[in-house]
Amino acid sequence: MTSFILRRLGLSVVLLFIISIVSFFIVTLTPGSPYPWGELNPKISAEVKANFRKKFHLDRPLHEQYALIMRDLFTGDLRSIKDDRPVMSRIMERLPATLALNFTAILISLSFGTLLGVYAARNAGRWQDMAGSFIAFLFIALPSFWISYLLAIVLVKGFHVPILGTHSYGIEFSNPFAAGLDTLWHLLLPATVLAIGGIAAQSRYLRATMIGTLREDYIRTARAKGLAEETVLYKHALRNSIRPLVTGIGMLLPALISGAVIVENIFAYPGMGRLGYEAVLERDYPTLVALNFVVAALVLLGNLLSDLLYAAVDPRVRLE
Amino acid sequence: MRTLRLFLFGIPAALLVLLVAAFVNATFLSVAKKNEMSIGTLGEPSTLNPIQQADSASSQVGGLIFNGLIKYNQNLEIVGDLATKWELSQETTFQFATEEEARKANFTLGTILTRPLPFEDTLQGNALILRLKEPGNKLSEDLLGELMSDGHHPLPFPPLEPGGKERPFKAEPIIRFTLRDGVRWHDGAPFTSADVAFTYRAIMNEKVASPRRSDFDLVDSVETPDPRTVVVRYKKPFSPALLSWMTAILPEHLLGKLDPARWPEAYNRAPVGTGPFKFGEWKTNEFIRLKKNPDYFLGSPWLDSVVFRVLPDPLTLQLAFQTRQVDFWNVDPWAVKGLQGDQRFDLFSAPGNAYNYIGWNLRRPMFQDLKVRQALAQAVNVPQMIKYILYGHGVQSTGIFTPQMWFFDPLVKPLSHDPEAAKKLLDEAGWKPGADGIRVKEGKRFSFTLLANNGNEVRRDIATLVQDDLKQVGIEVKVEIYEWAVLLKRFVNKGEFDAIVLGWGLGYDFDQYSIWHSSQTHPEELNFVGFSNTKVDHLLTDLRQEYARPEIIRLAAELQQTIYGQQPYLFLFVPEGTEVMWKGAYRLRHPGPDGTWIDEPVHMTKAGWSYDMEWFYRPEYPPTAKANSITR
Amino acid sequence: MSTVTATIPETPTARVLKRFRADPMARVSVVIIILFALLAGGTALLSCTGVNWPYDPNLTSLEQKLLPPSPSHWLGTDNLGRDVLSRMLHGASISLTVGLIAVAVSLGIGVVVGAVAGYFGGKVDQILMRSVDALLCFPTFFLILTAVALLGPSLINIVVVIGLVSWTGTARLVRGEFLTLRETEYVKSARVLGQRAWTIITRHILPNAAAPILVTAVLGIPDAILSEAGLSFLGFGVQPPQATWGNIIADGKTYLLDGWWLILFPGLAILVASLSFYLAGDALREAAESRS
Repeated sequence: MTSFILRRLGLSVVLLFIISIVSFFIVTLTPGSPYPWGELNPKISAEVKANFRKKFHLDRPLHEQYALIMRDLFTGDLRSIKDDRPVMSRIMERLPATLALNFTAILISLSFGTLLGVYAARNAGRWQDMAGSFIAFLFIALPSFWISYLLAIVLVKGFHVPILGTHSYGIEFSNPFAAGLDTLWHLLLPATVLAIGGIAAQSRYLRATMIGTLREDYIRTARAKGLAEETVLYKHALRNSIRPLVTGIGMLLPALISGAVIVENIFAYPGMGRLGYEAVLERDYPTLVALNFVVAALVLLGNLLSDLLYAAVDPRVRLE
Repeated sequence: MRTLRLFLFGIPAALLVLLVAAFVNATFLSVAKKNEMSIGTLGEPSTLNPIQQADSASSQVGGLIFNGLIKYNQNLEIVGDLATKWELSQETTFQFATEEEARKANFTLGTILTRPLPFEDTLQGNALILRLKEPGNKLSEDLLGELMSDGHHPLPFPPLEPGGKERPFKAEPIIRFTLRDGVRWHDGAPFTSADVAFTYRAIMNEKVASPRRSDFDLVDSVETPDPRTVVVRYKKPFSPALLSWMTAILPEHLLGKLDPARWPEAYNRAPVGTGPFKFGEWKTNEFIRLKKNPDYFLGSPWLDSVVFRVLPDPLTLQLAFQTRQVDFWNVDPWAVKGLQGDQRFDLFSAPGNAYNYIGWNLRRPMFQDLKVRQALAQAVNVPQMIKYILYGHGVQSTGIFTPQMWFFDPLVKPLSHDPEAAKKLLDEAGWKPGADGIRVKEGKRFSFTLLANNGNEVRRDIATLVQDDLKQVGIEVKVEIYEWAVLLKRFVNKGEFDAIVLGWGLGYDFDQYSIWHSSQTHPEELNFVGFSNTKVDHLLTDLRQEYARPEIIRLAAELQQTIYGQQPYLFLFVPEGTEVMWKGAYRLRHPGPDGTWIDEPVHMTKAGWSYDMEWFYRPEYPPTAKANSITR
Repeated sequence: MSTVTATIPETPTARVLKRFRADPMARVSVVIIILFALLAGGTALLSCTGVNWPYDPNLTSLEQKLLPPSPSHWLGTDNLGRDVLSRMLHGASISLTVGLIAVAVSLGIGVVVGAVAGYFGGKVDQILMRSVDALLCFPTFFLILTAVALLGPSLINIVVVIGLVSWTGTARLVRGEFLTLRETEYVKSARVLGQRAWTIITRHILPNAAAPILVTAVLGIPDAILSEAGLSFLGFGVQPPQATWGNIIADGKTYLLDGWWLILFPGLAILVASLSFYLAGDALREAAESRS
């Protein structure tokens, strides 16, 4: 077990470095360079620009830049080109909000997705199943920006409900209960939009696995033994179809972080997706390298955790 | 199994209940009306250190936290901010081979000129130092002429820049600022001239990487003879110099001994200034909150706090405004009409300080003929663009200055929209219609690529309309849209493009040397179209040395006319900006010129609608006369 | 009394198609897909001959900007006065082209990688699959932006780029199929007989893996369409004046509260088109996998 973990960790570290190298070179080779002064500004002299380039090592050859950035990353000294602040503080500021958003989205996806999936598997072949499939595919086919804007129109024009940021302006002056619900609202709205695709994916995956499981011999035996359908369904079939629930987490994470770019922008939610999008537009190389690193690390960690969970849940699985 | 079912149904049910509860709560939210102003900003400030940033988001916030030595008032006249008085003078120095010669020259001047003398003279060894009442070259040149015609030959001074010309005399303008008394920093420390001197040193410090450095290149020295006086000496006459002292002043006692590398975490995100509002809190990507400074030298502001909410795009800003999450909204032209009749809002409109244009790359042979450029200008229907893209909210541009500027020449007439005239001009220039309708000259088709940046609908719409208009006169235009960073690096900075749709956002000063002088055409410089005109070059350098207002107006008018005539750009339009406010949300109570308070509704001034924003108040929290007495 | 009827045994493909046809949702989605294809193809053909129906999609007419749906403009006009219906029809051909070509690219890469990994196994498999894992760690949007910026925002480049980031699913699937099919009797005999790997892969294994691959293909088309819409929304899609469904929405979002038709109709089109492909693909998968 420990050797497995160690080997996986080692492999992950190697992967992380490869990812960081590739992402660095991709971004720096993209046309366009950092220009943190907004529009073309008559006040910025060539000298200022030269100083700026020197400060961020932009005048060195690429491999040197990479080495310098990695060194700074690990000494904690890496600074963002945009505002000269340590990159890690910029990322850490956004991390709680991102984790909250993604965790909630995953929770919504898994819980509703499982429910839907079980319902569909239970009624496999009948109209309820077809309705379930239809709804699932409807969710997957829904463009996130479209539904976000439609929601925005309805909520703002129809109900005058604030939808932006992590809390409503002025909420600090209401009672704690209302404030708490307000924060919840601002979290649940974007999380739900993000989770729509996840619900569909989860339900399809679970349904497929459960239908497969339900065909197994031991299920037939259980039914023959006279067990109630409920028990069969939940105690046996569902438990053995737990894998999608677990691997689902590992798979959803990178999709969520990049999918969140659009949703975070529309709802002005301060997460890492928005940070990454802005950093790409501004060619903020240090932030991008660090962000990629953090995201990749999270994903690899998530995968490791889900594999471990899978092993814990299913004794048949042997980690090699 | 029970537990499994509990989880399976329970969690979704709980989430649903929470969602509904949260939604209901949100609809009934009655946000307590605080005494706080909420402003939406599209870009998040990168730093609140005013000498290290140049983006408008940062300066909007910085404007409430800091003061400069001088500022513009609502009529765009220069008034004192941290300085109460400023005197301009100049020291012109002639040097001679011997002391004797210097004395003789001094004597000559004393006899030739009529009394009273326009200067105070001092002899220092072999140098004759004249203290003139006003800066500028003209008087000094006249005096030089008098001396030389009388047989005196002053020795030249070495050039100011390597490779430059020798100077027959040294002309050093001097500005003497008298600072306001009793001003304190937000942390209580007293404001003195040391802070001004420090600010200058910081701006010039390489490690600080200040974008304002070029404004202070010509400063020779900054002296502080006493805590209330600052004397700035320049190397040569440079009229925009005074305006550079509108820059915010930084606290020497906090930053003087601190290595600039430590500024971002120690100061830039929690700045200390002298302004009407103090820094309160900054939640990245969400908001910046400022609290009132009760000890502000003009008196405490009426608002308790101001919050800048960071919103990523104009649509979000609109949504925030509709739900009263922000109090103001800079509305796009197409929406103005719908809002004008709406009784719930107050609207403020004024032409902005920016103009949009199409830059022709003058290095491309097809754009080198003036007739062609005039034809292009007449082929494009600018009035229609204003009507349909700006919905009428704009004026056609007549050159490099905008109507709000005091040196703008209203007599320059824009070229008319006349496709027939355009066709004739093109014919005359040798471009005849080809087989497919596109004009041809010497075997080359008149076809070019027009670039614009993505994310800007106005420019994109301009490109599409120009494409159509030019097709009508037989010119083929291909439109390509790129991301801003790519546009700059790949095309603009290298000067490798055909034509590009852009805009200039200008300050209120007349110095456009960096955009139009022929020496500024290298990669990464701002004269990226490659414009070179000797007359314009002279006008630009003359303007920089001219201090007299009527002269400036004359030179500026000539500059504007000449450049417009040359059409290096297709000057499009000056958009009008409109700001919307929920009706009566704020009123203005500000110090009047004669020591009383003036209470009036928020209105449009030459300097914009938000001039004196620190004196806004909410009618629910009326200012009491006792709360403030006008100071100095 | 039982009658013995001699029937020609059905081929697996025929069986699959029969089951497919039996599913009502599948029938409806195929009808919709054919409808889209006809509209898109028809519009493309007509514009090649110079005819534009109902209007020229690029004709700007500033007097008629932002008109809501009316008898003369069934789906309204945009901010430059261009007819939304015409733009959507032309956009249909772009969207469908993007879907098809992107899927072709991703299939091409995915099948090759998966086949090699699945057939040869061992070290090769490990390396290839680890690379797939690494690729999955990348935020795809960022890769797409970079590539589009590098290569320039043309239709071809966008399509290729979308294909390049979406082949991993196919690769995994194909590898799985190959791992299983490699152990079947006839493959084993083929190897014993000394046939070359290439022949075995193409002649024996691929045809049997065809069904799942086809399913992935059909399910990949709407993914590509949605990616293109997302790209256009963020500003990195196909350039003006060419219309795509995504870029009509992107252009229209500024007028959100006053021009709802600019958002609603293209979005609905994307939704319906994607949904049809998903339903069809899913039905295909059911038909291929079912054991009846």
